Amino acid sequence: MFMTRNEYDRGVNCFSPEGRIFQVEYAIEAIKLGTTAIGIRTSEGVVLAVEKRLTSTLLVPSSVEKIMEIDDHLGCATSGLTSDARTLVAHARVECQNHRFTYNEAFPVESCTQSICDLSLKFGEDGDEDAGGMSRPFGVALLMAGWDPVEGPGLYHTDPSGTYINCEAKAIGSAAEVAQSTLKEQYKPGMTFKEAEKLAVQTLKQVMEEKITSTNVDIASVKPNFRLYATEEVEEIIKTLDASS
Amino acid sequence: MSWSPYDLNGGTCIAIGGEGYCIVAASTRLSTGFSILTADKSMILPVNSKCLIASAGFDGDRSQLHKVLTFRSENYEHFHKKPMSCPAMAQMLGNTLYYKRFFPYYTFNLCAGLDDQGLGCVYTYDAIGSHERVGYSCQGSGKDLVQPVLDNQLKAPSILELPPKVAVTSLSKDEAIETVKIAFSAASERDIYTGDAVEIFVMTPEHGVQKEILPLRRD
Amino acid sequence: MASTRLNVPGLDGRCAGASRAAATLALGGADLASLAGGSPVASEFPLPAVQDLDRFENNVQELVKPEHGTTTLGFIFRDGVIIAVDSRASQGSYVSSQTVKKVIEINPYLVGTMAGGAADCAFWQRNLGMQCRMFELKNKKRITVCAASKMLANTMYSYKGMGLSMGSMIGGWDPSGPAIYYVDSDGQRTKGTIFSVGSGSLYAYGVLDQGYKWDMDVDTAVELGQRAIYHAQFRDAVSGGTCSVYHITKDGWTKIRGNNHYDMHYQYYPGGHPTAANDVI
Repeated sequence: MFMTRNEYDRGVNCFSPEGRIFQVEYAIEAIKLGTTAIGIRTSEGVVLAVEKRLTSTLLVPSSVEKIMEIDDHLGCATSGLTSDARTLVAHARVECQNHRFTYNEAFPVESCTQSICDLSLKFGEDGDEDAGGMSRPFGVALLMAGWDPVEGPGLYHTDPSGTYINCEAKAIGSAAEVAQSTLKEQYKPGMTFKEAEKLAVQTLKQVMEEKITSTNVDIASVKPNFRLYATEEVEEIIKTLDASS
Repeated sequence: MSWSPYDLNGGTCIAIGGEGYCIVAASTRLSTGFSILTADKSMILPVNSKCLIASAGFDGDRSQLHKVLTFRSENYEHFHKKPMSCPAMAQMLGNTLYYKRFFPYYTFNLCAGLDDQGLGCVYTYDAIGSHERVGYSCQGSGKDLVQPVLDNQLKAPSILELPPKVAVTSLSKDEAIETVKIAFSAASERDIYTGDAVEIFVMTPEHGVQKEILPLRRD
Repeated sequence: MASTRLNVPGLDGRCAGASRAAATLALGGADLASLAGGSPVASEFPLPAVQDLDRFENNVQELVKPEHGTTTLGFIFRDGVIIAVDSRASQGSYVSSQTVKKVIEINPYLVGTMAGGAADCAFWQRNLGMQCRMFELKNKKRITVCAASKMLANTMYSYKGMGLSMGSMIGGWDPSGPAIYYVDSDGQRTKGTIFSVGSGSLYAYGVLDQGYKWDMDVDTAVELGQRAIYHAQFRDAVSGGTCSVYHITKDGWTKIRGNNHYDMHYQYYPGGHPTAANDVI
């Protein structure tokens, strides 16, 4: 046959003869161009740490948003196309509020992740845009960190294919491979939150090209409420790293 | 005469929530005007393992409402992998009723069960979804007769008071069941729409839901 | 794209998708709908297939007797905002509850009061709470009392003529200081310093206007609010139960009183109220 891979990588609604949907795979590649984000779950709570690539000193660091609040008990770290992430986060926020309105309870973390994945999978569908579907897959991966009223702390990883995985520790973005192997070595099941916080930032420091500062990383915790750390708190954590390494 | 999509089928229901138990009871007579349609119609929906709903008013709307609630409860269970809690069900029922604000379900509901602490909880509604958590409540044709008696037997301080006081009835489970039985036999003496029998559901953390039927006057 | 809809119409300024309600708004509402970026919303609030909707709604009102009846009040003074309410709900002449929570805590800095139809107030103020939270997440700052009350008024206006019944005060503290707005189901919205709403409001106003001073300390203000509610409960048959008093400062609201009507009665009139005396002259 004359068919080559190139004939199957244009459309999102067509499998290749080998059984692949290339656009989805390319979208996953897009995340490897993104900044690194790390999440670690402990019994006390979940920590998220991300690198912010500040391409110019004229950028206002706080305007680069890589960690976003979804609800009181839920936040996420993103890697990939930020604009796509915002769409998913906006969707998740609405779903959380709807759930609160309907059931007067917090949206379970896994259900929220599921609803994001439902939207991620809606690419290439016909019909009305109100449903939220796009013509292409979302080029973003999320680390969903939350506190479930029943299950306790939760950390989930979602990717453009609409797959989600429950994780204890996960790294995404350009340095995901290196960071993940560090996490694999150093993550211990009984870790305290403080240790996890340090491990996350330490790992991030190790894979960042620039020197780590309080302006080029963001840290957040969910225990049990989401909170993005202030610059001073980030500074404190970075100081402890310098002392130990 | 203008088009009327409603009827009033009578019947009384009572719910009591206490420490470690919850009771929901409803009479089984279904009437229209002065005719008794059946002596054996249940007004109680055991939605899931945590929650019971009793509805008085128009039986057609009751049956539709119970169908909708069952559907939503099962959907919830599939999506969230856990049964809907009683407080969650209470809010959902309130919203469900309100979405029919301009064409209401002509039903007067009680939603009762056990909360996450194992404490009995009772929610009482008007037809369009205004609701409130209470210690006990009564709805339906016999409510004017029964509610004042429950107030007299069960009244606990209001949850609105400051400093806060314990707002749960001090009655034990068996005393509460006895009170329900007395209330129903009394109501069946003076309310033409309450009679034949009363279904009593008792929910406890140890034994789940147990059902008992008490015969009432049949005339 | 991807404008996910909250499951309640009116949230993004759109009217009810319900055909009749939409029809009334369609004249001026077409632009609104396109602004919101949405196609017509499927009917969330089904309507009966009748010619004369007004008559149907009136009959239904008569039939289902939604909970109503209230005294609520709110005022601004030197040290913040006081909100005081009773707790009785009636269905016709039947007292359906003595323990209704008529202050709806929208967020830690914002409360709404409930007068008119209990379901209408509770539902739409919960809806407002959701809108305020979305605002907060999007803009990373708390919503002002001005904006929150406007959102509620917009929602009410979009259902104007449909028979909703709500008289509410939205009180709170924002960067510009304390504020109270009165919002009702006609779409009316007014800023003010002293309001009382509900069937017992006239009695409450009498006490409130007589005792109000800008320079009061907190204790005096709380006492004034409670006294006004007590006297409204005394004279208005559909007000009663417990009196709850909230105080709002720059740090948000706190509930500082919750007193039973009996206790207040014997506190104010230990020897019995003069008008309740049994002596025949």
